[in-house]
Amino acid sequence: MQCSTCGNPKVIYKREQSGQILCKDCFIESIEKKAIKTIKKEKLLDKGDKVLVALSGGKDSVTTLEVLNSFRERNIIDICAVTVDEGIANYRQDGVDIAIRHAQRLGIEHKVVSLKEDYGISLDEIMQKENHKGSCTYCGVFRRTIINKAARDIGATKIATGHNLDDEVQGIMMNYLEGNTDNLTKLGAKTESKAEEFTVKIKPLREIPEREIGLYVVAKDLEVHFDSCPYAMQSFRGEVSELINQLAEKHPTIKYSTLRGYDKIKNILKDELKKDYAHGRCRRCGEPASNDLCKACSFLEELGL
Amino acid sequence: MQFTLKYKQLNEEREIPNENYTIKDLLNELELSAQTVVSKQNGELVIEDTVIQEGDEIQLVQIIYGG
Repeated sequence: MQCSTCGNPKVIYKREQSGQILCKDCFIESIEKKAIKTIKKEKLLDKGDKVLVALSGGKDSVTTLEVLNSFRERNIIDICAVTVDEGIANYRQDGVDIAIRHAQRLGIEHKVVSLKEDYGISLDEIMQKENHKGSCTYCGVFRRTIINKAARDIGATKIATGHNLDDEVQGIMMNYLEGNTDNLTKLGAKTESKAEEFTVKIKPLREIPEREIGLYVVAKDLEVHFDSCPYAMQSFRGEVSELINQLAEKHPTIKYSTLRGYDKIKNILKDELKKDYAHGRCRRCGEPASNDLCKACSFLEELGL
Repeated sequence: MQFTLKYKQLNEEREIPNENYTIKDLLNELELSAQTVVSKQNGELVIEDTVIQEGDEIQLVQIIYGG
């Protein structure tokens, strides 16, 4: 057996969806090329951008940082990073420490923001409340709000997240299964809002399977936080992910075909279903909101804060 | 004929049960999915079809945790 690209007999990966067999160097190159291809195809970067990387210290965000840093090294963009500490005991601190080390290694501006400091409550404390709506609901909304505010404070022109192919496909299927057509219009490689306060979000790893990102960080010896969020198995996302992975065993291209199918109908969905948001302002925090309160503040009020 | 298995906190000597015993066979025995781990043989990344040899150190690194 030898590498399909260079003939090296030391192979590390068999790409089931294409039959390609790759050695370490060719595999690493293939991942970086794929991300760069997505960046170019979807026009995710503009020269002079200041990109805020949402850096958890996990494999996806560290890979995003690594890929974007190649653009920074060529003076195309500038990078900064923000890490959100949700307040999950015995889980988050390792990731925060790793994120700090990566930012130091690359010499980039880095900020750690905690849920407790910003909202007066940690995710663990929210989960102690009897009327909570499930960890991921709060985590997603608070994290998004914190990162968006940080992007404005830092003057970032883009926010890059580590969403991979598996995340995107789960998002498509979850929103479809829940009939959430509004959220279904918000997926994609680049999401822009009419509200100026919302910074453009980009997903450079959107076409790379999660497993390949895991192998990439091990092959490149990048320090990452490999661990499970203690709340992950309580989520609907976890159930959907399990189903998709079961299907992918017999149908190795199914994640790509789901993504391609969504991309074909995405613009129609947006034209037909997208709500014209954010004309109003949240009466509590002043952030863009379609109702009297923004999502984060409506959660805080429900939690009695 | 033995090899060393390293996986999370585990570090143990195991018997090679038959000829052409691969990492994929080992993963099946441990009920681990090849989708969630990557494998190293004597410190180098390898594919799951790799045959385990006497004296090998096989390290499994979990890369997907579901959250």
